[in-house]
Amino acid sequence: MANMEYNVPTERWPAHPETATQEGQNKFVGFWIFLAGETALFASLFATYLALKDSVPSDDHLLAADLFHLPLAFVMTMLLLTSSLTSVYAVYHMRNNNFQKMQLWLGITVLLGAAFLALEIYEFVEYTGLGHTFRSSAFGSAFYFLIGTHGFHVIVGLIWATLLILRNAKRGLSVYTAAKVNTFALYWHFIDVVWVFIFTIVYLLGVL
Amino acid sequence: MAELNQEPMTKAQLEYLRRQRTREMRQQLVSFGLMIFLTFIAFGLTAMEVIPAQFTIPLVLGFAFIQVILQFYYFMHMKDNGHQFAKLFMMTGFYFAIAFCVTFVYIVWIGAPVN
Amino acid sequence: MAQTSARKQGVGSVIWEYLTTVDHKKIAILYLIAGGFFFVLGGIEAMLIRIQLAVPNNDFLSAGLFNEVITMHGTTMIFLAAMPLLFAFMNATVPLQIGARDLAFPFLNSLGVWLFIFGGIFLNLSWFMGGAPDAGWTSYASLSIASPGHGIDFYALGLQISGAGTLITGINFATTIITMRAPGMTYMRMPLMTWTTLVASVLIVFAFPPLTIGIFLLMFDRMFGSNFFIVEAGGNTIIWEHLFWIFGHPEVYILILPAFGIFSEIFATFARKRLFGYSAMVFATVLIGFFGFMVWAHHMFTVGLGPTANAIFAVATMAIAVPTGIKIFNWIATIWGGSIEFTTPMLYALAFIPSFTMGGVTGIMQAAAPADYQYHDSYFIVAHFHYVIVGGVVFALLAGLHYYWPIMFNTMLNETLGKITFWFFFVGFHMTFLIQHFLGLWGMPRRVFTYLDGQGYNAANMISTIGAFLMAIAVIVLVVNIIITLAKNERVGMDPWGDGRTLEWSIPLPVPYYNFAQIPLVRGLDAYWVEKKEGNGKMMPSESLTDFHMPNNSILPVVMSLGLFIAAFGAMYFPDGQEWAIDAVSGLEPKPWALPVLIIGLGITFVSMGIRSWKDDLGYYVTKEEVERDLEELERGGK
Repeated sequence: MANMEYNVPTERWPAHPETATQEGQNKFVGFWIFLAGETALFASLFATYLALKDSVPSDDHLLAADLFHLPLAFVMTMLLLTSSLTSVYAVYHMRNNNFQKMQLWLGITVLLGAAFLALEIYEFVEYTGLGHTFRSSAFGSAFYFLIGTHGFHVIVGLIWATLLILRNAKRGLSVYTAAKVNTFALYWHFIDVVWVFIFTIVYLLGVL
Repeated sequence: MAELNQEPMTKAQLEYLRRQRTREMRQQLVSFGLMIFLTFIAFGLTAMEVIPAQFTIPLVLGFAFIQVILQFYYFMHMKDNGHQFAKLFMMTGFYFAIAFCVTFVYIVWIGAPVN
Repeated sequence: MAQTSARKQGVGSVIWEYLTTVDHKKIAILYLIAGGFFFVLGGIEAMLIRIQLAVPNNDFLSAGLFNEVITMHGTTMIFLAAMPLLFAFMNATVPLQIGARDLAFPFLNSLGVWLFIFGGIFLNLSWFMGGAPDAGWTSYASLSIASPGHGIDFYALGLQISGAGTLITGINFATTIITMRAPGMTYMRMPLMTWTTLVASVLIVFAFPPLTIGIFLLMFDRMFGSNFFIVEAGGNTIIWEHLFWIFGHPEVYILILPAFGIFSEIFATFARKRLFGYSAMVFATVLIGFFGFMVWAHHMFTVGLGPTANAIFAVATMAIAVPTGIKIFNWIATIWGGSIEFTTPMLYALAFIPSFTMGGVTGIMQAAAPADYQYHDSYFIVAHFHYVIVGGVVFALLAGLHYYWPIMFNTMLNETLGKITFWFFFVGFHMTFLIQHFLGLWGMPRRVFTYLDGQGYNAANMISTIGAFLMAIAVIVLVVNIIITLAKNERVGMDPWGDGRTLEWSIPLPVPYYNFAQIPLVRGLDAYWVEKKEGNGKMMPSESLTDFHMPNNSILPVVMSLGLFIAAFGAMYFPDGQEWAIDAVSGLEPKPWALPVLIIGLGITFVSMGIRSWKDDLGYYVTKEEVERDLEELERGGK
């Protein structure tokens, strides 16, 4: 059984710990390729949404311009953008071999992500109350599928980060855990990238 | 998992690495500021409706692309060495993404064009 | 933790070993067995189709059953036979060709094969559980939403599961080829098989997510009451066509590119010449991959997308002929002046050139949008795609089976029987499909279960059916060949074809589980050939003999795939009898257990993913002493 060295002294901590081993390098390359696949996935979702936007069975259904209100979308954007920055801090401290601070910033990222998710759920509940549901129209289906897939990615990210914080709490930092944290950070940034397009294409262009 | 075989670094090397990381952090903070700023402008333009919609649409889309480039290059370290394949893959992905969206906006409906 | 390859194992432990294995060579065998099984299944379905169409007004199959059979034939052959069989050869050869000890993600490799197997089983269970899907392999939304019962649900869920496996495998191969190449193995020294695998993997990465989304839309409409394709509620069925073909067209390149790779290796080996125009071949491969994404709407010319869209996609489609032509000429130039050896794989390769070119030429005919209005939905189309898929991909699979058999099983298939298979298959193939071009031009529509007497279709259809029987005989001879070979089990030594050019032939057979005792140093294109001509015929090591690291086996991939398999049943029966459900299933008896089953299944998958993330999986070390023992044994055995 191979051994893994934890809590490496800083003078032996590599400049790029996440890619210091072959496995870390593989994970890094493989995850970027996965993200490229995710681009195609979200592109299909955006395309579907654009094709079905405001496509409703009758005139008494609410359309994008009636539904969306910008202040909520703005707050959500700020929360997610900030959580992207906090995960940058986590990676920064990981590279500086500062385990405690890394855990702290990961924790803050999780909190911000959870706040975002809470607002998204609030938004969904509100729209459902107004009669705009997954089953009410093709527009509703496309809207909830696009935003819901993003929300699902957020949930997965939150569970992932929480698991990482808990599992690493006992272990500490090694090139093995560093690769895991870096991969999570890439994932979280990518969720933010998708959200940038969502707030632009769905919300901003929706109310125009 | 291969064991860590990093030679111990000298004080000067460590100091250099630390300085470099601080500089990088500063860049990341600046790009964060830019992203917040662009978001403000995009929401502001849309909410105030100071300029006509046909100008706002390309403008906010452009802002989104700038934000995403910042996110990729600074937050996700795409500007660093060893990211060539990542750039290639993401650019291909974005190219296809734009192609998908354009077709779905313009050619998903039956009928009209055959005249 | 170390495996004991030499010790005699019981049946139980062999099964356990294959369930938990992460070794690319064993996973290749899993792909070969499962893919071979589905190939035979799809072949039987093909025979049923041809028997039904042999004579006019036949009632061998009913109209409904005929629809199910053609749907399952297409779906099985593309998703469950051709692609997995190509993965079998990729798994068997690519790590060896680039000088790696395994793939980048051995665990994910195992997950990929089990997702495919469970997805394939799920899809085929439809035969016993209320009827197979019947909307064609393209499953166009207007048909698939209307199709009563659960057939289409089997299609959607089965492909979703196996598609996830394919995506994972694609990412895995792309990563492996980028990061795991041996010292000296630059991109422009990679064998063509590796290059085509890389490009096909990239295509998988970009093509499968749109399919995933398309199938999700279909699943949500059929199982969860959404309205993507329900026109009364604002839905649009053209979305399905776009998403399906955004995936579907790259899919044919995902199939044909590795086939090109296999043939490129075979041509160079048995013409005993360096592949002509290697860099042009690489360039053409990449170009085909890129263009493959820009042409999907040529499947939709008759939808009415408008003359501008049709013109753009027509021109892009014709452009693909250029890189493909480059390849055809390069293969011919490779054989030209070579000292050719007519082995079974080489026969397939030589037959491939004219057969595939004929398929390519009819492809260009269809690329002209106005002409396509005539060919559309006729047997001309059926003839065209069977010429490229059978004349290209299946020929490559059969050639690869003979060519790589020694690497996979350490013994060689019988050459005489192999040539008998070839001739039956070759003659049968052209007999079946050449005449179908004419049937199409005479006006026979595809996907119709019978035709009337006196329309002039009788003789041609009978010829086609006889050809299909010849192909069936070929496959039976092949199966006999495999059984005889495995029973005799005559061991062969290193480089059994005698003219191996690339790294995989420089390894002792059977291939040690760690592949390379020392990672070799690559000194040029066709690394092993370079050493044969300029060195002492042995690969030079790039590292001293040391301990090295190998991954642990794991049962989790099977558990994860099983979880999704269970969840699929829950999802499928969820809408039964619900008032919001589509007409196809709203009349069925409600199944209150469906939701718990869905949750339990997904729970199993997510919990095992959590376990995988939580546990450290650091692998184990193969010691220098063990490798030295193996090398000594080899030395003694070889003398």
